[in-house]
Amino acid sequence: MAEPIITVKNLTKVYRVPERAPGLSASIRGLFKPKFQDVEAVTDINFTIQPGEMVGLIGPNGAGKTTTLKMLSGLLYPTHGEAKVADFTPWDREPEYLQRISMVMGNRSAMNWDIPPLDSFRVLSKIYKVPQDQYQRTLDELISLLDMEALLKKPVRNLSLGERMKCELVAGLLYHPDVLFLDEPTLGLDVAMQRRLRIFLKQYNQQHQVTVILTSHYMADVSALCERVMLIHHGGLIFDGALQELADKLAPFKLVKLQFTTPPSNLEGFLTQFSTVEYLPSENGHHILRVARSDVPKVTAEILSNLPVADLSVEDPPIEAVIDQIYEEGKV
Amino acid sequence: MNHQGGWELIKNTWQSWLQHRGFFFLLAFGWMLPLLVYLMIWSAAASEGSLTGLSQDTLAGYYLVLVLVNQLTYATTNWTVGDNIRMGQISRWLIQPMSPLYHALSSEIAGKVVFMLFSVPVTAVLALIFRPQFNLSWQQSLLFLPSIVLAWALRFFWGYWLALLAFWATRADSLLALQDTMIFLLGGHLAPIRLLPNWMQSLAKILPFRYMSAFPVEILTGFLDKNEIFSGLLIQLGWTITAYLLYRLVWIRGVRHYEAVGG
Amino acid sequence: MQGLRLIFEFFKVSTQAELAYRANFFIRFLNAILNLVTGVLSLTVIFNQVDSIKGWDLPSAMALLGVYLLLAALRGLFIGPSLESVAGMDGEIWQGTFDFTLLRPVDKQFLISFRHWRVLMLFDLCLALGVLGYAIHLMQAELTLLAVLGFIITLIAGVALLYAALLAFSALVFWNSGFLFTWIINDLFQLARYPVELYPVWLRLVLTWIIPVGLMTTIPAQALSGRLSWQWLILTLLFTIGALIGASWLFRQGLKKYTSASS
Repeated sequence: MAEPIITVKNLTKVYRVPERAPGLSASIRGLFKPKFQDVEAVTDINFTIQPGEMVGLIGPNGAGKTTTLKMLSGLLYPTHGEAKVADFTPWDREPEYLQRISMVMGNRSAMNWDIPPLDSFRVLSKIYKVPQDQYQRTLDELISLLDMEALLKKPVRNLSLGERMKCELVAGLLYHPDVLFLDEPTLGLDVAMQRRLRIFLKQYNQQHQVTVILTSHYMADVSALCERVMLIHHGGLIFDGALQELADKLAPFKLVKLQFTTPPSNLEGFLTQFSTVEYLPSENGHHILRVARSDVPKVTAEILSNLPVADLSVEDPPIEAVIDQIYEEGKV
Repeated sequence: MNHQGGWELIKNTWQSWLQHRGFFFLLAFGWMLPLLVYLMIWSAAASEGSLTGLSQDTLAGYYLVLVLVNQLTYATTNWTVGDNIRMGQISRWLIQPMSPLYHALSSEIAGKVVFMLFSVPVTAVLALIFRPQFNLSWQQSLLFLPSIVLAWALRFFWGYWLALLAFWATRADSLLALQDTMIFLLGGHLAPIRLLPNWMQSLAKILPFRYMSAFPVEILTGFLDKNEIFSGLLIQLGWTITAYLLYRLVWIRGVRHYEAVGG
Repeated sequence: MQGLRLIFEFFKVSTQAELAYRANFFIRFLNAILNLVTGVLSLTVIFNQVDSIKGWDLPSAMALLGVYLLLAALRGLFIGPSLESVAGMDGEIWQGTFDFTLLRPVDKQFLISFRHWRVLMLFDLCLALGVLGYAIHLMQAELTLLAVLGFIITLIAGVALLYAALLAFSALVFWNSGFLFTWIINDLFQLARYPVELYPVWLRLVLTWIIPVGLMTTIPAQALSGRLSWQWLILTLLFTIGALIGASWLFRQGLKKYTSASS
């Protein structure tokens, strides 16, 4: 196994935040006596990431994803703990380190809104000391990958959200960073644009072996891009492994969908012979059964040989439902 | 008209302004400072020779009252009118069952209170430093009241109609900067009107700018005789009515234009 | 040199952005003229009443006004817009986009000081030079080489002091991101319009040694009229170096604070 590019040990971050009560009289009181509260945003997390990996960082709002990302990029000092990214301590923010990482945020823009993206790119290339010929080559490659020839000459202000995100990605990748931090890159984009960006990221990762840490609210992003996920909840890392493993662990059952040529008279009665099968309300002629993973072959065989089946499919439960369940229960 | 809605608006505005009190205290500080500069300059000048009967302590009285009057009459809201039109905020107001003027008035009234929270104590401290002298009389104090209300109304509506030109021209708020400059030069900020050269004095007495700020102060500090006060009040009233009519005219035309081009 | 190349790029891009809006031309032009007119007219009004105040006559006060306008133009040309874009209203700290600035592999103080340019301020710069030229014409005195040299040195020190003061005040935003510290220094800078000697003693001391807006303009104007002693020259230079080091230190402390507590 190669040397990990990211190593995180006992990383912890505690914030002090002001409390503010509603109402006019409370805001007047707040003038004289502000109240504060300590909030543990990230508590004692540990992990390593190999070069070229794409890792999804997931968790509900306020779980500590962004704080973790900010510490790794060097924007925040941790309260304690250590981290090494590409052999640098991120929060020293040495120029050599900053040269090798990139942060792209879905809700914040690194572009100058009054000028066309091409000009912003040129300035960035000067800041990152990208040689002219290399800059041109990288730019051409990114522009054709993202299919954004037409946007380059319009002021950023006049671009749509999706077009702007393409620009943010180009701005973040112009200097060939080794590590890319993506914070909610598909926030607010339509489904087609989300897919477009996913395809791009996948392609780019394969061609350039860039290491990516991605946070997203859209599970589709994570399941399309990341084989490995880390799940953060209440500041703690509660799962780190393959996405499939997480799903298996959480949802030890599959969904069997059935359609019949003629409606069977006593389907529910028939199903009582299996102890691990649960009948879910049918949707427009589709009958759905929840079946324990290990019983799937036996159950499907019985159904096929005894009932007038027109169509049968076996599916994993939707990952969103699985994740919702964890967010609610707070543990894996 | 919906007065209760207006009052709720004012309360809400107070609350949000208290959150941003630092910002408003800063604004108040910024308006106060140039006046204090000229108070000190004229004091220094008065210490060397006589300034047509103005001594250091009458100057101090004049400028400290002017600080408060200037804050009371300065219409901050007018600066946001242009943005509200450009950003389409105005559309939301047009469909509310309440005159959009209430939005401007509510932040005006709420604003004055917040500004005074800062200005009154600061002016009190400054009074200890500069030792102003007043010769107040009953009549003056009584006439000061209508003149300051008119000064506020004139300054507000004058700025409002200028700001409403944003319906047609995007950067109409630069006209507000021009208004501020005229008030500085001819509204008694740079110098009490009587210290200005003759040609500027005559301009000041005709144009509306003196009546937006210096005029009430001149009444209160006893710079004017009875005739000057009454003719001044008449001119002030005339300009206020003119400003209001201009506001109505520009508003009605502006909304029609806005509806026609769809914002 | 990468620094110069970057400044050139920043200048180019800012110019492009500014020229994209035609209204900017008109507004900058209007503002520059208003500034010039108020400045010159103020001096005319004052020296219409008195021949000199505490040793300052019209020509020397005009020279000081020239220095003031020159510094204001330089501030508006790049120092102001660059620092405002970080610490001002709607600035990067306010919007949360300062993170990107922190992640650039370039010295942060350099980056935030030279990033934004307002090329149309070159017009103000020309007007300021015009006022200086006019003042020299009014002085009618022989300008010695030594006086000119002293003027240039102290003028550079004045720019450096202004930069240090603006940087220090901008850095304060890291401790309280909701407060517009840059506005305070912009307000206080107006005090530099007039010689510090015209202010009361306590204020003179504050404006010389604590918030050195007085030093920025008074010293160069004194140097031009040959009234500056070499002791003051050296003291000013030492103080300037100290201020630059102090402001830079404060800025770095601010960065530390920002990266340990932001959310």
